[in-house]
Amino acid sequence: MIDRKKLLSNTERVSQNTLSRYIDMIGDHALQFLVLGGVVLFIFYPLFCVFLRSFHSADGFTFSQYAKVITEESTALWRSVFVGSFTSVLCTILSVVFSLFISTRRGWQKIIFTALLIVIMVSPPFVSSIAYIQLYGRRGWITYNLLHLNIMPYNQWGIIAMQTISFVPINALMLNGLLAKIDRSVINSARDLGAKAKDILKDVVLPALKPGIIVCLLLTFVRSLADYGTPAIIGGRFRTLASQIYIQFMGAGNIDKAAAMNMFLLVPSLILFFIYRHFMKKMNSNSSSRRQDAHLNLPLHKSGVIGWLIMGIGLLYSLIMTLQYSSIFLSAINRTGSKIFSFTTEYIEKVFTYNASTLYRSLLYAFIVSIIGSLFAVIFSYYVERRKVRFGSVFDCIATLPYMIPGTCFGIGFILAFNSAPLKITGTALILIINMLFKQLPTTTKMCAASLSQIHVAQENSARDLGAGRLAVIKDVILPGMRPAMLTCFIYNFTSSMTTAGAILFLVAPKTLLAVFKLFDATYTGEYGVASVIASLIIIVVLLVEGLVFLLTSYLEKHNVSGTRTYQKELW
Amino acid sequence: MYLELEHIKKSFGDKTVVDDLSFSLEQGKLLCILGSSGCGKTTTLNMIGGFLRPDSGRIILDGQDITEMTPEYRPVATVFQSYGLFPHMNVIQNVTYGLKFRHIDRKDAIERGERYLDLVGLHEYSKYRIDELSGGQQQRVALARALAVEPKLCLLDEPFSNLDAALRVKMRVELKKLQEELGITMVFVTHDQEEAIILSDFMTIMDQGRLVQMDTPENIYRNPSNSYVSEFLGLKDIVWGEDGKIMKVIANEKL
Repeated sequence: MIDRKKLLSNTERVSQNTLSRYIDMIGDHALQFLVLGGVVLFIFYPLFCVFLRSFHSADGFTFSQYAKVITEESTALWRSVFVGSFTSVLCTILSVVFSLFISTRRGWQKIIFTALLIVIMVSPPFVSSIAYIQLYGRRGWITYNLLHLNIMPYNQWGIIAMQTISFVPINALMLNGLLAKIDRSVINSARDLGAKAKDILKDVVLPALKPGIIVCLLLTFVRSLADYGTPAIIGGRFRTLASQIYIQFMGAGNIDKAAAMNMFLLVPSLILFFIYRHFMKKMNSNSSSRRQDAHLNLPLHKSGVIGWLIMGIGLLYSLIMTLQYSSIFLSAINRTGSKIFSFTTEYIEKVFTYNASTLYRSLLYAFIVSIIGSLFAVIFSYYVERRKVRFGSVFDCIATLPYMIPGTCFGIGFILAFNSAPLKITGTALILIINMLFKQLPTTTKMCAASLSQIHVAQENSARDLGAGRLAVIKDVILPGMRPAMLTCFIYNFTSSMTTAGAILFLVAPKTLLAVFKLFDATYTGEYGVASVIASLIIIVVLLVEGLVFLLTSYLEKHNVSGTRTYQKELW
Repeated sequence: MYLELEHIKKSFGDKTVVDDLSFSLEQGKLLCILGSSGCGKTTTLNMIGGFLRPDSGRIILDGQDITEMTPEYRPVATVFQSYGLFPHMNVIQNVTYGLKFRHIDRKDAIERGERYLDLVGLHEYSKYRIDELSGGQQQRVALARALAVEPKLCLLDEPFSNLDAALRVKMRVELKKLQEELGITMVFVTHDQEEAIILSDFMTIMDQGRLVQMDTPENIYRNPSNSYVSEFLGLKDIVWGEDGKIMKVIANEKL
């Protein structure tokens, strides 16, 4: 038993050794400085460099670059606005319809359509464009071989169509989240009060989606504005501001003008970003913690014409997507240009002989970004959300910026910021890894912040109370508690690193070529077979890694649970 | 006195939560801080535990001024309302966590952890995961974890509020027994009048950040210092046990 006398003498104490105390304090401050400083150095500073450079000329400070952009690039400017607005409206309508379609599926239908959505989400960029050219291009399987049409696909409508269908999945996913938050009892009481399915759609479901619809419009507009890949590939001579930046920068290398052009993308993006933040807050505050359903309990086939329309469009979109992916996978093994299927391993061999190293490099970088990125996000959100560091909201805002910053800005910003000593890292692997990490930070910090609220403050206080220093709290309480969030971050980081072009195309060097760059290069130069092989490989690899991580976690969970799960009766 | 609070003051913004609070406690006694929600009792506890720094005033424990000491160096251990158990560690890992920082061998630490688990009646559960335990068992793990570091002072923040009524009564008895056996000094925060009266050697009644009355439960029952105290306690009668201790409290019927 416990020796009462000894207990009351209280001899042993937490060593109050000043050295260990200082180490803890310094370590804590260093960690805090690392994450907060990292955000300023790798997000704010590059953007500031773009801003400064846009006023730069050989004679010093000038507005002449802006004047140049307005006179020389006004067509591209208006085209960007035109494509952005058109895409944004079209895509939002399609996203709402598709999310309603997806969230009302059940059983096997749910499994099939969710699987389709997952494949779309892990796809690299430009797959729509590759498939589009293969299917509906001048020699497209459908337009030429099937319908004997000779359509010129390289124009603004091609861009709008491609952007619209590529941005639908991510929007639909967000809207699905909102739909899942609709309380079942709200729908039931509406029904109870006499509302038919179509009334529920109009009176309950659509109002709940309203903030999401606005966010969709904003995000899609900014994404379209920032997208330089699609217009570069299928725009033909129709160039938007973003594709013009890419082509000018890569071709002419006029950094001053490119910086000024970027400001025309950056400023509207930032304005829309702050509007977006406002609506996101609204969206989150609307959420209830009440019982939620996995699917929306709304029978579409009983919702009149609107319901049938939603089902029709949902099916049509799914069909288009299925066609798209079939065409990608088939193009990988079919001789380009052949009228009927003609099997070839030419492209696969080509990829494995010339591009195997880029694939491995992509994988390696993606793993590094995933591991460091998830750790960084956890520690960053811990200091901002939990420790309430001073100016935390400012740092949080900076960390969220990359969500809306066009890849051209972020890329050129990195080149401007890190092209001279002491931070000369252009052309290295480091600049790519850092760029991907910070580009993905907005999403990962949001994931971590949500998960952090699950760790009760009492856990941290208990650890402190029992003698743990600040670093020990992070090591013993925060990191283990955030394990599930870190896995989600890992998967997100990995997928994004493998599939996002973003600023990467600006930052790769001959020694650091990545698979997405090769994919863009092959598409741009018309090697559709090779592009299809790379795209297919990326999809397969990402699905494999995600599957492995998923299996591993469920195995570990099971393993942990087994054996001890026998409740015993209360002893007292 | 063993524990002394001198003129403690704490405000959040322009709202004064604790106002010129002073009291003291002998070693080995159990003090209940009783008050309705928002009276500043939890804030007071957090200041004693080191999680909040008082705006002014001093806290002295066993002759040592601990006002400026951070929680990890304070010889004080807390049982939190939500327990604050580490869900990724098993029971014994939780209980021995604090010993890690006191440079105690792993073997000795586990031995001691098991002794305290035994004391709260959970020695068979040492390898269990936290989510495999019932609420009452989790409560006892939290208590064992706080006691295992053998603190000079143990704080409890409404520790029974998440338990059902029957279990609460059972836990109360056990806690009192344990406290007397080990002679540990405890400060216990609650809004439950009956709990306070039965458990405590001394009772402090707080209202709007101020101390209204501090005395033994019996004296407070017999001579409430003002109408607030008598109304707040709302006692009709007290049932005495054979050992002269209060056994049961009969409250006025609430309107």
